[in-house]
Amino acid sequence: MAQIETGGDSGKGKSHQKKMSIHVDFTPMVDMNMLLITFFMLCTTMIKSQTLQISLPTNEKVEKEQQNKVKQSEAITVILDSDVNAEGVPTKNYLYYYEGMPPVTEEGQIDLALNPMKTEEFLPNEANGAAQGMRKIFQDRNKEVVNRINELKAKWKNKELASTEAANDSVYQARAKEIRNDSTLKRPVVIIKATPNASYESLVTALDEMQINSISRYQIDRISHNDSVMMMAVKGIPYGQEPAEE
Amino acid sequence: MGKVKIKRKSTLIDMTAMSDVTVLLLTFFMLTSTFLQKEPITVITPSSVSEIKVPTANLVTVLVAPKGNVFISLAGDKDSTFSSENMRAELIKNVVAEYNRVYNKNVSLTTAEVNTFAKTNMFGVSLAELKGWLDLSQEQRDAYIDPAKNPEKAGIPIDMNQDLSKPNEFQIWMRAIYNSSNPNIEGAIKRGEGIAIKADKSTTYDKIQVVMDNLQTMKMNKFSLMTALKSEDE
Repeated sequence: MAQIETGGDSGKGKSHQKKMSIHVDFTPMVDMNMLLITFFMLCTTMIKSQTLQISLPTNEKVEKEQQNKVKQSEAITVILDSDVNAEGVPTKNYLYYYEGMPPVTEEGQIDLALNPMKTEEFLPNEANGAAQGMRKIFQDRNKEVVNRINELKAKWKNKELASTEAANDSVYQARAKEIRNDSTLKRPVVIIKATPNASYESLVTALDEMQINSISRYQIDRISHNDSVMMMAVKGIPYGQEPAEE
Repeated sequence: MGKVKIKRKSTLIDMTAMSDVTVLLLTFFMLTSTFLQKEPITVITPSSVSEIKVPTANLVTVLVAPKGNVFISLAGDKDSTFSSENMRAELIKNVVAEYNRVYNKNVSLTTAEVNTFAKTNMFGVSLAELKGWLDLSQEQRDAYIDPAKNPEKAGIPIDMNQDLSKPNEFQIWMRAIYNSSNPNIEGAIKRGEGIAIKADKSTTYDKIQVVMDNLQTMKMNKFSLMTALKSEDE
């Protein structure tokens, strides 16, 4: 490849054919290429970021009659909170949650005895194959949907839904969406709130759990006065004394 | 006792094949690479199982630094009329005009300053100081908007303003981007793909909420959060 045979030069006779081979040393070329490769490798991003799409409700005032009331039995409010260190960096994440309405008595006081608020530390979402922490909370409440989705997923993995791979995928997507929005099943409505100290990571984790547990109805909301009062009441008790839901 | 004859072997190795391989690799990297964009601060985004990729075109990235400084970066269309540079040049003119109108100021930029701005990927400086900032050298500009070196001045001023007749500077920027002559970015923002919030995972929620509230006030209710892929199987 690097040899070029120079055939008969302008000589008159055939007799004086000089065979000359030219060797080009490619080592510097390789050196230079390697440097360029290194440069490109260091300057590129191979992994593209993912996004999590969310939509917030509008700010506009909605007429009372037009508001969608959530069934009390389906609602669960999750409040995210974190401990922060002296520099304001979150160190440990906590989760508070209650079902239904906040326990407000007729006098407008908060009475936790009416509707206990539970608290939990952020745990890794799975241990020994069983869900725990936030995932367990949501999975338990969305059991009917999760079970159906799992059945469907098993079929999808065995490619039983359709003959071709692409059709299999699209049938799976369509059916999964149907199940998630099936109003005959018991589905929770999750209201996610976060305190000013809560870490961004915990918010994304909570939103992520919605996807993992196939919860179709969730919303990010502002923390209310009642929520803060309840949290203060709960915080009066040191964590750990009252064993959170196992 | 004959002497052992040492055969002299040439140590020259033919590097041609090696060169071929490296050139191929080089071509691959050159074609597939997208360059890392320079950002005032490096953040580690939280991870999620979401598999929706960040779009490369028509995207506004709002970077929230851990201390709450806000930066904006604008990526235009693939089409050359609305390339990132053209869009930024148009944007800066509209923003300055709007700022002068709302706050009764008299800022005017030279063509050189507009061109400098068009080449800047991510910006975050108050409009009052924008002109001075664009006159600095590249290094000084980077240092000026680095939250670690200049925590007071870095970032676009933002507050909880809800009155859109007197928008704050963040709202001026976002509205100017939305109303730009490129129709695709408006569509992307409406679909919820046009705005991405990027923040470090240890940022506290109050800093993010300020940005979210501002977007909500401007009726840009749909947006996305940038995350990294979670390695864990669901």
